[in-house]
Amino acid sequence: MTTFIDYLLGGLGSGAIIALMALALVLIWRSTRVVNFAQVGQAMFTTFIALSIQTWTGSWYVALIGALAAGAVLGVIVQYLVLRPVKRSDTSGAIIATFGVLIALQAAAGMIWPGGSQAFPQPFNNSGIEFAGRVWPISIYDFVVIGITALLVLGLTLLFTKTSLGLSMRAAAFNPEVARLSGVRVSRVLTFGWALAGSVGAVAGVLVAPVSTISPNSFDILLVFAFVAAVIGGLDSLIGAISIGVFTGLVISLVSGYSDSGNAPVVALLLLALNLILKPEGIFSHHKARSV
Amino acid sequence: MLTITDLSVNYGAVQALSSVSIEVPKGEVTAVIGANGAGKSTLMRTLSGLVKPGSGGATVGGVTITGRKPEDIVRLGVSLVPEGRSTIPELTVEENLRLGGLWRDKAERNSTHAQVFDLFPVLAQRRKMRADTLSGGERQQLAIGRALMSDPRVLLLDEPSLGLAPLIVTQILELVSRLARESDLAVLLVEQNAVTALRVATTGVVLNLGKVVMVGSGAEIASDEQLRQAYLGY
Repeated sequence: MTTFIDYLLGGLGSGAIIALMALALVLIWRSTRVVNFAQVGQAMFTTFIALSIQTWTGSWYVALIGALAAGAVLGVIVQYLVLRPVKRSDTSGAIIATFGVLIALQAAAGMIWPGGSQAFPQPFNNSGIEFAGRVWPISIYDFVVIGITALLVLGLTLLFTKTSLGLSMRAAAFNPEVARLSGVRVSRVLTFGWALAGSVGAVAGVLVAPVSTISPNSFDILLVFAFVAAVIGGLDSLIGAISIGVFTGLVISLVSGYSDSGNAPVVALLLLALNLILKPEGIFSHHKARSV
Repeated sequence: MLTITDLSVNYGAVQALSSVSIEVPKGEVTAVIGANGAGKSTLMRTLSGLVKPGSGGATVGGVTITGRKPEDIVRLGVSLVPEGRSTIPELTVEENLRLGGLWRDKAERNSTHAQVFDLFPVLAQRRKMRADTLSGGERQQLAIGRALMSDPRVLLLDEPSLGLAPLIVTQILELVSRLARESDLAVLLVEQNAVTALRVATTGVVLNLGKVVMVGSGAEIASDEQLRQAYLGY
């Protein structure tokens, strides 16, 4: 039983990071009906930028804020250069375009930051906390990760429920035509959504880098987990992305603990398959059915 | 108030509207009637900016509106209540209304909000509920309320009777015509249901295959036997 609880605790930090990346996917899908597979590429790119900032300034906080800003800028660039030229009705074209962006970003990162995997400095103590006579599998850094995730989720919730911009974003996502007739500048609102998703993904990247390493491909597996979480959560639900994201982190930790970490992606895909068979619209979706 | 001059719209090779001219004065309801495919919805979508005109145009108080984006046209005082599902079901009643005037100054917006609640008390009662829990009639009131939130000078109503019980249609249209008189609003009403539309309209315009075939008072058109049989089919 203690082992079980240990595994669960050990999965909280990675669950929070998966939740953030899933959130970024959901933010884009809600407003454009496109799954942005470039999201982890954008996060990888901005994490490299954060690493450079950290090396220059020596401050993790400056690096985090730098990634946040770079993520927003990169999100806007991806939307303008790649998604706008693709016809609005052509969502499969847009999805394939996001794969193209992912490959391009990975190739570019390989050229700009050569030398394979690099270590991202540990901003906080990442060894287990000692408490009540034993070492627990959760660190100060895990608490920082969970805290930052909670803050972001709180901020987004306030944005969507309490502000005019948030209402515009929701209206533009649900019914762009009525939103435009109401005076909402929908294309600007969409661009803001890409910036926002870019920033959320960038934070996920900076948070995951110290516990793995950073290379052009190092976040690919994060994409798998985040995609699974976003789809099971219903793709258009922020609550779904967060809760299933954390849940996925816990499942991965249990699977890795009881068997082997190599099995985690397989289990994640099994969960996805199960979801598509039993409840294809996702657990938290606003919509009754969804074609897959 | 709203002056439509020689407006033509093409969808590819099909001419949906050809040289349509209509004057919509303030304080009155002007009804455009005609069968399915007469070009009524195209007219509304062009006036609100969703469809680009081929030639000709429309002005409001002397300012050209055609060719602009919907989000700019609503700022010039022209508000459309589109046909069918024109509320956002996932949002609450309150949010649907707020959406209609987000771009406006907060104090002005709040005063319009209060007026809309006076006009449609049922919306005030249901403000916290999601729009998809409302009945058809309530939803149409919400759609009109949303359009009024921009404090328009011209209100465009596209088939408000669609799918509603006759009694509710009458109530809503009478309310709209009172609103036109009391707030000096120019209302352009598009309807397939000619009898109902002509009852509240000062002027009726008959549209057939994209052309204006007759303009007259509501009573004139309603009593013209030949016209009724030829274009309105009843």
